Amino acid sequence: MTREVDVIIIGGGATGAGVARDCALRGIKSLLIERGDIATGATGRNHGLLHSGARYAVTDRESAEECIKENMILRRIASHCVEQTDGLFISLPEDGLEFQAKFIDSCRAAGIRADAIDPKEALLLEPSANPEMIGAVRVPDGAVDPFRLTTANLIDAKLNGAEVLTYHKVEDFIRNQNRIEGVVVRDMHTNELKELRAQIVVNAGGIWGHDLAAKAGVTVKMLPAKGSLLIFGHRVNNVVINRCRKPADADILVPGDTISLIGTTSSKVPFNEVDNMYVTADEVDLLLREGTKLAPSLAHTRILRAYAGVRPLVASDDDPSGRSVSRGIVLLDHATRDGLEGFITITGGKLMTYRLMAEWTTDLICKKLNIKKKCKTAELKLPGSRQKEERLSKRLHTIPTAQRESVINRHGDMVERVNMGDAAHRSLVCECEEVTVGEVKYALNELDVRNLVDLRRRTRVGMGTCQGELCACRAAGIMAEAGKYCSQRAKQDLADFLNERWKGMAPVAWGDTLRESQFTTWLYDGICGLKNEKKI
Amino acid sequence: MMTEHSEFNFEQCIKCTVCTVYCPVAAVNPLFPGPKQAGPDGERLRLKDKGFFDESLKMCLNCKRCEVACPSNVRIGDIIQAARIKHSRKGPGLRERLLANTDFIGSMATPFAPLVNMTVGLKPVKMVMDKVVGIDHHRTFPRYAFGTFEGWLKRKRKKQSKFARQISYFHGCYVNYNNPQLGKDFVKVMNALGIGVQLLEKEKCCGVPLISNGLIDKARRQGEHNTALLRQSIIENNRPVVGTSTTCTFTLRDEYPHLLSIDNADIRDKIDLATRYIYRILESGEVQLHFKKNAPQRRVAYHTACHMEKLGWAYYSIALLKMIPSVELTILDSQCCGIAGTYGFKKENYPTAQAIGDTLFRKIEASGCDVVSTDCETCKWQIEMSTSKPVVHPISLLAEALE
Amino acid sequence: MRFDTVIIGGGLAGLICGIHLSKRGQRCAIISSGQSALHFSSGSLDLLGTLPNSEEVESPVQALTALAEQAPNHPYARFDAERFVTLANKGAELLREAGIDVIGSAEKNHYRLTPTGAMKPTWLTFGGYVHSASPEELEWKSVALFNAEGFLDFYPQFLADEMRRKGTKCNVHTFNLPELEILRQNPTEMRSANIARIFDNEATLNELANQIASRIGDEQAVLLPAFMGINSQGNLKYLMHKLNRPVAVVATLPPSVPGLQVQTLLRRYFQELGGTYMLGDTAQGYQATQDKISALYTRNHGDIALKADNYVLATGSFFSGGLVATNTEVYEPLFKVDVCYDSEREKWYDRDLFQAQGYEEFGIATTPTFNAQRAGQPIENLYAVGAALAGFNAVKQGCGAGVSILTAIEVAEQILSKM
Repeated sequence: MTREVDVIIIGGGATGAGVARDCALRGIKSLLIERGDIATGATGRNHGLLHSGARYAVTDRESAEECIKENMILRRIASHCVEQTDGLFISLPEDGLEFQAKFIDSCRAAGIRADAIDPKEALLLEPSANPEMIGAVRVPDGAVDPFRLTTANLIDAKLNGAEVLTYHKVEDFIRNQNRIEGVVVRDMHTNELKELRAQIVVNAGGIWGHDLAAKAGVTVKMLPAKGSLLIFGHRVNNVVINRCRKPADADILVPGDTISLIGTTSSKVPFNEVDNMYVTADEVDLLLREGTKLAPSLAHTRILRAYAGVRPLVASDDDPSGRSVSRGIVLLDHATRDGLEGFITITGGKLMTYRLMAEWTTDLICKKLNIKKKCKTAELKLPGSRQKEERLSKRLHTIPTAQRESVINRHGDMVERVNMGDAAHRSLVCECEEVTVGEVKYALNELDVRNLVDLRRRTRVGMGTCQGELCACRAAGIMAEAGKYCSQRAKQDLADFLNERWKGMAPVAWGDTLRESQFTTWLYDGICGLKNEKKI
Repeated sequence: MMTEHSEFNFEQCIKCTVCTVYCPVAAVNPLFPGPKQAGPDGERLRLKDKGFFDESLKMCLNCKRCEVACPSNVRIGDIIQAARIKHSRKGPGLRERLLANTDFIGSMATPFAPLVNMTVGLKPVKMVMDKVVGIDHHRTFPRYAFGTFEGWLKRKRKKQSKFARQISYFHGCYVNYNNPQLGKDFVKVMNALGIGVQLLEKEKCCGVPLISNGLIDKARRQGEHNTALLRQSIIENNRPVVGTSTTCTFTLRDEYPHLLSIDNADIRDKIDLATRYIYRILESGEVQLHFKKNAPQRRVAYHTACHMEKLGWAYYSIALLKMIPSVELTILDSQCCGIAGTYGFKKENYPTAQAIGDTLFRKIEASGCDVVSTDCETCKWQIEMSTSKPVVHPISLLAEALE
Repeated sequence: MRFDTVIIGGGLAGLICGIHLSKRGQRCAIISSGQSALHFSSGSLDLLGTLPNSEEVESPVQALTALAEQAPNHPYARFDAERFVTLANKGAELLREAGIDVIGSAEKNHYRLTPTGAMKPTWLTFGGYVHSASPEELEWKSVALFNAEGFLDFYPQFLADEMRRKGTKCNVHTFNLPELEILRQNPTEMRSANIARIFDNEATLNELANQIASRIGDEQAVLLPAFMGINSQGNLKYLMHKLNRPVAVVATLPPSVPGLQVQTLLRRYFQELGGTYMLGDTAQGYQATQDKISALYTRNHGDIALKADNYVLATGSFFSGGLVATNTEVYEPLFKVDVCYDSEREKWYDRDLFQAQGYEEFGIATTPTFNAQRAGQPIENLYAVGAALAGFNAVKQGCGAGVSILTAIEVAEQILSKM
């Protein structure tokens, strides 16, 4: 089977999704290929911080400027993915105030509003912040939900003609002399191989872009850097709290939806570990130790889970040793760099700059395809962000508050596609995160859900306090009922989902988190007799 | 871990669903989200955004049966009440003020008790209360006594002062305005134990009706006033404070710190319920009670009021009732009668209240008892209205049985 | 307050211990910090289902030697076969006396049908639950399975497909009733216990019987999720009579209706025997003289101590608060008695949730007579029973209820023998 499109994009992270949308809005026919589910790499495994850029202001002016520009754009185009929380950079006695002055100057130079405020005022603004702070600066940080952001980009891309294939892995490139003409992909569910052809193939594979480039016959040297984070059981803070010092470990506490998270650690890991990373006890202890300096109450807050992501650090082309890395956006036209036509790599950068990365990439695609269309992604709002939440809330006033507000928070105006018209559809699948039967069905029907973990990324099923204890079984039943799989596979999916949750809980399984997991084991292993047939 | 008073107590919830089995409201009214959703689940959402507060939380009876059932020590009832206090935007109306200000209304009514009792019992008045004010016409307001308990005890001050041991009695509005006899019975029992009974300096309503009707500022002011009186009695005068009402006692001890942020840690242990206080004295063996011989046998069914269940003190009342030779005791399964103070008086809550109490009423009728006994005055109204049995406080039964 | 024995923990172990003692004339009090883990019952009580080496057990008694070899610290390792059978039979007898209808024996496991269609070896199954003598097949060749419309805590197709593999044809139906419509108005409260409550009304139960009758054919039996009989036990019998064939139930997600019923019946029996059950209270402190506990203090009773000759810890494991884990240690929170656990945190867990987890075997270290100890020194009148004990994995070995019941009776007899 062979198909042909203008552009094939490899990688379903925010960048790939952004490229798909940008292409679609410029009338370029694209196909996005992702080996697993969307937003599974670095996109879904970071702080979810809507950087103001302040963090980079002192050390990396260029990144800082990009961040604040994109920050303002995302507030506008992706309002349902963004929480405008603001951020504090607090100076603790051990940090001194020396850095603060330089920090404020650098922020202002980069165009970031930075106001020094009295520590007392900072405490009023964010009561959970460490009261021992000696200084505080307020900046326009925020929170962004990477799953929603990626989903919204893909919805818009598809509405404008793009195609998306999740669970398709690139096995090989179709190469004709010095030109890449397509890819051979494996359908991860059926194991079937398919040839897909395009004029241009974009490598937006994040850390996996290293291997993809190698498969295509070029070298893009990347260095996997593991960053671990902890998720706390509830919103500890409503304003982002950063340490006002040179960026270091565990110095950002971000509120995101119902939780808060602290990160990150930073350590180099070998490539063979990037697909399955475990957070170590030492990393957990470090995050807790440093985290309590930002917000002392973290010491007695329940920790839901720990997780780790991989930053794709790109070695600078001019330093073969690979020691010097670029944190900025790296767009490689392999035609000019390596003499390989039809292949582009977009990497580096960060979640914050996904749109800009997509713009640069699509500009290059347009140049190659000789298309003269301007980028519109900075102006056109994403699906979900086109109507005000208050208005949606009023329109849905008959639905009980918790279910109504939750579904609007998650889907913005796409809520119109969610059936909550009768009591059965308003029944809750996930009680912690208020996910209704109607919302689950919407995700199953319209958002490329293949398993429970995918469903979680679209809806927050299983992301709450109990980590899937009641909802997983309910959701598996609904998925099987909807014909997504047979009951046999539903059970294995259930086991996989619970194990995926356990992976994050195990590193922090003491106190109530251990009690929760013991209870989950009673239910699924004990009462239900559920088995896991897969090797972990 | 399992710490009851941590700031984030709601996080101890394991989502085990046990509380949902024991919520009397959710069982009969689908509009109430249930203790798990309204309590710990909802709290987490409200911390994210206060817009998640739902006015349906007012349907919570505050019976605390969810807390008693919770295997994780989550203060579910407190979480729900605290959320109402913090977020409710609906101000109290005339009805709420009428029901909440038990002591003010009582002090106005008692001098004219016969007239008031007759008036509020009149059918047209009941219909006006129902239609205009929203107090269900099935309800009978408790009758007001002619003259208050305080007035009575003041006249006995001299005699009471003669006892070597002294306590202060927190009589509550009900004893003061509606049932001074219970107060008199209490004084009789205490005197028999060699203890004199004093009034507090100027007791005000414990505030529970104010809390449940949304008059929080006033509740806090009264709470602070009462706590100062309690402190004066307990610390300055070395007189423990004893109450006959479970709800008043529970409020003074636990709702003050938990819901009104009034710190009473220094005196809480010296605020006691009558039956517990008496049990303690009898257990020590220093005094004995002498009961009438050959009193006619009475079959008594003991009903554990919700706040009694929460206090965990039914044991003491039951132990005292068991001591009375003329009492043949059965103990009813502990469950809510549905009234929950002023809750059941509200027109919209009437069907819920009666549905909640239904199985209890049937069990009472089937028990073959002569009287029901309970330590809570509002349970008394509800059971007397809904069954054929009279309801008598354990202290009154005790007093009656004494020689 | 003066008792002969005070039991801390009001679940299966605490109640069985209290009942056994009360029957022999002891005055007992049980303090229960909330409702117990019986609320998450499967409908069966396991004695020993699987050996630590994953071998499935046919006869718990006969597997005892192998168990003691593989898990020398297992509480059962202290019993010889005769004692084990005596204790198990005594336990079954006590349950029956309390009005709990159970089938099964310690000599031979039978199998319960789980909600995902697995067959798990078990000891005693509550009346009305689907079970079978063989893991390969069910008693019936065809059944009709009825679920309540919109009840999400039970997925019938799991069962139907597995039953088909075992040679039983299963037709799945849903039913609806006006009472369910009312319940469904609440987005969360369509739970097993709330559904069970609507069937307390005979007219509703009759309507259900009519609906089922109108839709079944010649199926040999009717199956339902376990949402029957929260207050009255006769519901299944009523349906059987109406439908003229066996009607049986399969467990649901919590709350467990049969578990609730067992809890209620055991508590009632204990109270009828004169026991004092204090729900919603937590033991918080104690007084000790040398090697004995002399008084216990609870949150509710404050300065009024509970005094007894003997004290029993039936406080459960982590979930129930009998054990507490922090990021550095595992301890028993009330008396701080000796606890067995691994000091290296990463050894507490296996990366596969469905494998045996190290933490499950942590628990209170006791003497051969189940006395708790501090720094290796036994406390003469303090015993530990049930899930709080060290040395076994209740879920993986399928022995949670058995350990609770057997150790509870054993300790009760230790206490009685001292009198």
